[in-house]
Amino acid sequence: MAHSGPAGHAEEEHHGSRWPVIIAVGMAVGYVGIVTPSIPILLVGFVVFVAGTGGWVHDDMRRPSSPFYGVGTAIESAFPRVSARKLGTWLLLVTEIMFFSAIIGASWTLRLRTTTLGPDFQGPWAAPNQILNVPLTGLNTFILICSSVTMVEAFAAAEKGDQKRLRLFLLATLILGIAFVSIQAYEYQKLYFQEGLTFKSAPYGVNPLYGATFYAQTGVHGTHVTAGVLALAYVTRKAFRGGFTKENHEAVELVGLYWHFVDVVWIFLFPIVYLLPA
Amino acid sequence: MTREPPGSEAHAKRPYLIVFVALAAVTIIELFVYSIPLAHIEIISILMATATIKGGLVVGYYMHLRYEPRWLAFIPLAGLALVAVLVAALTSTSAHP
Repeated sequence: MAHSGPAGHAEEEHHGSRWPVIIAVGMAVGYVGIVTPSIPILLVGFVVFVAGTGGWVHDDMRRPSSPFYGVGTAIESAFPRVSARKLGTWLLLVTEIMFFSAIIGASWTLRLRTTTLGPDFQGPWAAPNQILNVPLTGLNTFILICSSVTMVEAFAAAEKGDQKRLRLFLLATLILGIAFVSIQAYEYQKLYFQEGLTFKSAPYGVNPLYGATFYAQTGVHGTHVTAGVLALAYVTRKAFRGGFTKENHEAVELVGLYWHFVDVVWIFLFPIVYLLPA
Repeated sequence: MTREPPGSEAHAKRPYLIVFVALAAVTIIELFVYSIPLAHIEIISILMATATIKGGLVVGYYMHLRYEPRWLAFIPLAGLALVAVLVAALTSTSAHP
């Protein structure tokens, strides 16, 4: 879908792509499969989602990554232009805020009502560091903060057109992100198999909901971090192929926005889950 | 035709490192606070305040919201307003089971 523009507006890029729609359809079908529930429908949705993502990656890898400000005129004085994709990313982040509020809010409510939940959910909440490993997770928090610094440095390098610095800092961010997920995975298997913190039970007579809410909150966050790592891997690969320039590097900025958001969620989640007293 | 996006100037002067030091320092404070024998409500208040400071620093400086057109900030603020409503509703219902 190409623009017809005034003479001189070169066909350097067109802004239409079928892949976002296909990805969205895949996600919608997958969601239907989750809530029905129906494994076949979920699988169909998943396949469409993966195929759409693959197609988008294939198309994007060889294209410039430049901002698009929309066709037509804008009310310049009232609403200075923000690129369409950046606006879309911020809207995505707001939906994610709502998603995390739901998970964290529900877990918080259950925690406040442990005395009124019925015979199967008796027991106090665990104290900080009683079951969970606060020092290790504190280190993990630091790792995630570092990854936000390296991410913003990568973006600054992209803005200057410094290819070497961009690649270095994207790679650093990717490695730190993988480290975070790995440490979480290590903690999970230790908690589940050695400490006895499962979805339905907890050690030391602690309320069974402690495990369920812990895995729900940190698991949902960890899934988001993993998705971020995959996006980072893509952007890093594109950077190493010389796919970004001083003029065309919007993907670095947008992946950065998502990554910082994942860090902000953890900034709140870490004290709530790990540090608050019983 | 490339348009210069607003807020991309003077990147070299942005305080990324200072913000990082602040984030690290506040995190260390948090790791000590939880072991101090304070009342529950005091610990919760302090930790939520430090989290808000850290979150604000990341959103303002790393996500560049401070350098973007003002109206863009209303989008995450609207989301946070919804969160505030949810937290208020959950806390009040939990107080009276």
